[in-house]
Amino acid sequence: MPDSRWFRQIILRFRTLFQRRRVERELEEEFQFHIEQRIELEIARGLSPEEARSVALRAMDGVERRKEECRDTRRVNYVDDLVRDLRYAGRNLRRSPGFAALAVLIMALGIGANTAVFSVVNAVLLKPLSYRNPDRIVTLSDFSKTREAATTLSKQVSIPDFQDWQKQSSAFEAMAYYASRETAVMQGATAEYARVASVSAEFFRVFAIEPAAGRFFTAEERKPGSGGAVMISYAYWQSHFGGNLHALGQTVRVYGSRSIVGVLPPGFGFPDRTDLWIPKISEAKPEPRTGQNYLAIARLKHGVSLEQAQAEMTLIARRLEQQYPESNKGLSVAVMRMRDEMVGDVRVMLYLLLGAVSLVLLIACANTAILLLGRATARIREVAVRAALGASRQRIVRQLVTEGLLLAFIAGALGLLLAYWGSKALVALAPADLPRLAETGIDRWVLAFTFGISMITSLLFGLVPALYASRADLNDALKQGATRLVSGAGMVHMRGVLVVMEIALAMVLVSSAGLLIKSFVALQNVALGFRPENVLVMRATVPAPSAVGIARARQFFKDMLSQIDALPGVVAAGATMAPPGYVDSTGAYLIDQLPAQPDWTHAPNVVLSIVAPGTFAALGIPLKSGRDFSDSDTSDRPFVAVVNESVVRNSFPNQNPLGRTIFCPFDSLKGMTIIGVVGDVRQRGPAREPMPECYMPYEQHAFNGSTLSVVVRTVGDPHALAATVRRLARERSPDVPMKFTTMEALLSENVSAPRFRTLLFAVFAGLAVCLAMAGVYGVMAYAVSQRFNEIGLRIALGATTGSVLRLVLKEGLALACLGLALGLAAAAAGTRLLASMLFRVRPNDPVVYLAVAVLLGIVALVASYVPARRASKIDPLAAIRQE
Amino acid sequence: MSKPADLVQGTLDLLLLKIVALEPLHAWAISQRLKQVSGEILQVSDGSLYPALHKLEQDGWIKGEWKVTENGRRAKFYSLTRPGRRALEREAANWERLAGAISQVVRLNEV
Repeated sequence: MPDSRWFRQIILRFRTLFQRRRVERELEEEFQFHIEQRIELEIARGLSPEEARSVALRAMDGVERRKEECRDTRRVNYVDDLVRDLRYAGRNLRRSPGFAALAVLIMALGIGANTAVFSVVNAVLLKPLSYRNPDRIVTLSDFSKTREAATTLSKQVSIPDFQDWQKQSSAFEAMAYYASRETAVMQGATAEYARVASVSAEFFRVFAIEPAAGRFFTAEERKPGSGGAVMISYAYWQSHFGGNLHALGQTVRVYGSRSIVGVLPPGFGFPDRTDLWIPKISEAKPEPRTGQNYLAIARLKHGVSLEQAQAEMTLIARRLEQQYPESNKGLSVAVMRMRDEMVGDVRVMLYLLLGAVSLVLLIACANTAILLLGRATARIREVAVRAALGASRQRIVRQLVTEGLLLAFIAGALGLLLAYWGSKALVALAPADLPRLAETGIDRWVLAFTFGISMITSLLFGLVPALYASRADLNDALKQGATRLVSGAGMVHMRGVLVVMEIALAMVLVSSAGLLIKSFVALQNVALGFRPENVLVMRATVPAPSAVGIARARQFFKDMLSQIDALPGVVAAGATMAPPGYVDSTGAYLIDQLPAQPDWTHAPNVVLSIVAPGTFAALGIPLKSGRDFSDSDTSDRPFVAVVNESVVRNSFPNQNPLGRTIFCPFDSLKGMTIIGVVGDVRQRGPAREPMPECYMPYEQHAFNGSTLSVVVRTVGDPHALAATVRRLARERSPDVPMKFTTMEALLSENVSAPRFRTLLFAVFAGLAVCLAMAGVYGVMAYAVSQRFNEIGLRIALGATTGSVLRLVLKEGLALACLGLALGLAAAAAGTRLLASMLFRVRPNDPVVYLAVAVLLGIVALVASYVPARRASKIDPLAAIRQE
Repeated sequence: MSKPADLVQGTLDLLLLKIVALEPLHAWAISQRLKQVSGEILQVSDGSLYPALHKLEQDGWIKGEWKVTENGRRAKFYSLTRPGRRALEREAANWERLAGAISQVVRLNEV
């Protein structure tokens, strides 16, 4: 059994390392025993004790040498050496605390920034989901093979399609669909918003979980007309019931009165940190195949690969296409691992951030290498002495590398501390919709990462100086001993290379940041189509379980709006299903005629919005022609609609749309007369083009009339109005939950992702500029000190202050220009990766590159100026005397 | 008298393994036993014995245990490990083959 042999060897090595004294004692005892035995034997042969002893020792042929040979068999000398090198390195660093502190600080910044970004990447992209066999959980999404995914809702599936998938597929252990939204929940006497998911039968089986308390839904509870059951999250259980088992059986009002039947295990909150789950009631009347309102998930059977599942689903989708061409033509299904699907959009951004921050680390490495080169020069004599005493080159390199290693590990530890705070700051700054962000923390993977980059960086910055120092000519070093020896061209050259690299990397980072900043500014200045300033937004949900409820909801909003209109400081008030920045519904539309068999799949698409009269004025959306809705557009009057200019451009070129009829399969197919045209609004945030939109009055549509966002344009600060509005609503209906924000805040949420990456790139670029500046300064100061005599001589021979200044500055600028040229090439190649994140800025924007090059050139000049100044002040007498 | 230096490279290990295979012994006894069973022809010097034994131990072929001798002294007794026994079999077979081949060559009749 070879492993038992290895095991024995490992035990022995451990004993050697950790029980050194005992091992030594045993070695001593063994030799002692032998020598005594030999002495006894020799005495028995007739020698005197003294003679016997000397024979015994001679037979050993050098007891100490033999012991050393025995020790050598233990093969752990390198560990001994390491410990010795570490001690030596520690002493060395203590001897020059300034150098050590600077080097540690620079590296800690680099390592800390990298670790912080990695901890986010780790949480969002790398960590497996915390479900059982997370790799087998997949999402099933519809996608259109013909039209490019036009809306954010295109991943959703319809129940009839889902049921066909379930019947025909064999790849999955469990399949489920769900829909979730934030809605009103009454528990006791308080109304509040909670996230509620309506889930189909096998939902919890997809995750292979068991309830923490109580039970899952029964088949009875899925039938129409059942009493109503609800499951709550562990967190909700803790916050609302103190984790008490009495919660089971208690009543919660959410889409009607329901009793709590179970509690989900801690940490489970799919989807989107849901608080409550309710069973999806299987309706007697089948839903339409076009009703793509649900998301689907499934668990792969053991041994079934993603590709197999995808192949099967593609086949099924093709079958459904043939069977139901009017609804399914052009539709297929994508099977994706849940994690991949969750992080789809942010992956590129996070990897780019990681790339950017690793450039910062490279620059920090170059800086530390420059610092260490300086040290290596200063220590050349010490190295030479060691070499003269017989240390091999390899041994010297190892010692110097160990010093780098020690530096890197101290910096790594400090960096970890910085990363701890840094990652908190990142989490606070990051867009709230970044999935799994809350899981960010320092775990063993992050530790391993920090350890790994500390190792790598120590080699990056430690090896070059070590090789240089060890190559120094022994004789010269011992004879002259001055610092000027290795100064030679090689050393200056090496520093030059490092600083050129720094400037090039800084150029890449700063121009990336420049592009992102320019694009962010463009994003801020884009014409939104509405005026977001001074608009208060109040989202409110009137619990409306039935047809009676919708009337109550309409009354609530109607009363609220008339009361708000009367408040001082209010310019206009309205209400909308989806304030700009969010799209709630999209659908197809037809003009003028509704055929008996409408072909919805080939009809054009619009955003569908339910609004109250006054909304356009409140949001500042210009009315181009016709009129706004009024309070007399009620459900017993002819149905009306307002469209935006995109609709007019698409469907009424050179025609008057007013008075024409539009049909949208929203909640009824009644034709609506177009009564007005409004300007386009960027519904999906500033970065995306406006879509056609059809507005409908809330009094004529029942669907989701219970949740609206009241929008109020005010004269002054909109926040000032919030308290009054809240009081009005509370007086009217205490069971209506409300949320207040402003249009500007919503908008800023909308650009939080670009803001996040722009800010981070700017911070990294700032760091890069500082480090590059320090690098240029260090190299130029060193070059001046090397040319102390030469410059002194020049001044003695009549060089003016100006000419000396120019001489040094020219050198600094030459380095900078070389770096900038290289950096420009690298940036031109690298920034192409940013293309998808840029808005109205091309990755090769010449203005940005020019500005960045000028900026860095100035930075290099400033950094060279101080050494240049010093050079021009050299006292020629002192310089010549020194020679 | 043959010195260990005259031993064919690697044979010392084989001899030590074999001696220890017979019964667990301390180093002194191993050297005595080797001398005795080889009819005083093979001897290992006191000096080379220990590095050789320690190397075998570190390689995991033999293991050392502290025990009390007949005279009541503490000594390190070496015994064969299981991998050591297999190594011994392998080495012994090798040796037999080599020795056989050499004697065949040596016994060739000269013309």
